[in-house]
Amino acid sequence: MERQVAAIATTAQVAHRVDNWEDAVRGASRLLEDLRVASADYTDACVQSVKDNGPYIVLSPGIAIAHARPEQGAQGLGITVLLLREAVRFGHETNDPVDVVFALATPDSDAHVGALGVLAKALRDGLANQLRDSLTAAEVATVLSRAVENDI
Amino acid sequence: MSTRPEELNVLAVCGLGMGTSLILRMTCETALDRLGLKATVSHTDLSSAVSQNPDVLVGQGMHVADLAGIGTIQIVVEDFVDDVALESQLRQALSDEGWL
Repeated sequence: MERQVAAIATTAQVAHRVDNWEDAVRGASRLLEDLRVASADYTDACVQSVKDNGPYIVLSPGIAIAHARPEQGAQGLGITVLLLREAVRFGHETNDPVDVVFALATPDSDAHVGALGVLAKALRDGLANQLRDSLTAAEVATVLSRAVENDI
Repeated sequence: MSTRPEELNVLAVCGLGMGTSLILRMTCETALDRLGLKATVSHTDLSSAVSQNPDVLVGQGMHVADLAGIGTIQIVVEDFVDDVALESQLRQALSDEGWL
């Protein structure tokens, strides 16, 4: 079977603060909607997943990756980040508070594996701190885009 | 203490079984590689994990706590992208079991 490596759409936003974790997840996931890689239903599903399964998406200190299942409204391949200047609590036992909120949409499981692999490697290489050190949303977007090896 | 399986069966678990647990699986593979251990690592969601019988279960505290009895060894992982920390946890847990 022929496999194609699709480009990963990316964008970013910086917020000084949000009221709660749900707003943080919605903020990051709405960026996926802006990129047209996810529907509003997908954003709702990202929030519901945390309500159903707990704040496990906070997978590293200060870092969350919001996502849902492809069939819950993903329309393309995208990774976005909402950078919070004031960190918000998700209720995670060890990794709170969170200031780097990614959202991920993938159209199918093959693309999913590839995109997450790229993101996991970037996080190991210190992506979160590079994002935190960025001054503007444009700079954050550039850092993210380069990390997932996209042309901008 | 028991005899180590020839090839370790490792299960990474998270809520949906597709995002976070996949990242943990990759981190786990890196850590096991460095330990020089032959292993098959898979990932799944919480409800499917209940019916599995891995040698090693890895996941967040909130999930591992719900999976009492699943896995000969259970490891609670705080940072899913820190392969160095996980390698050290695996080394300790496998030694305690007499598998290293």
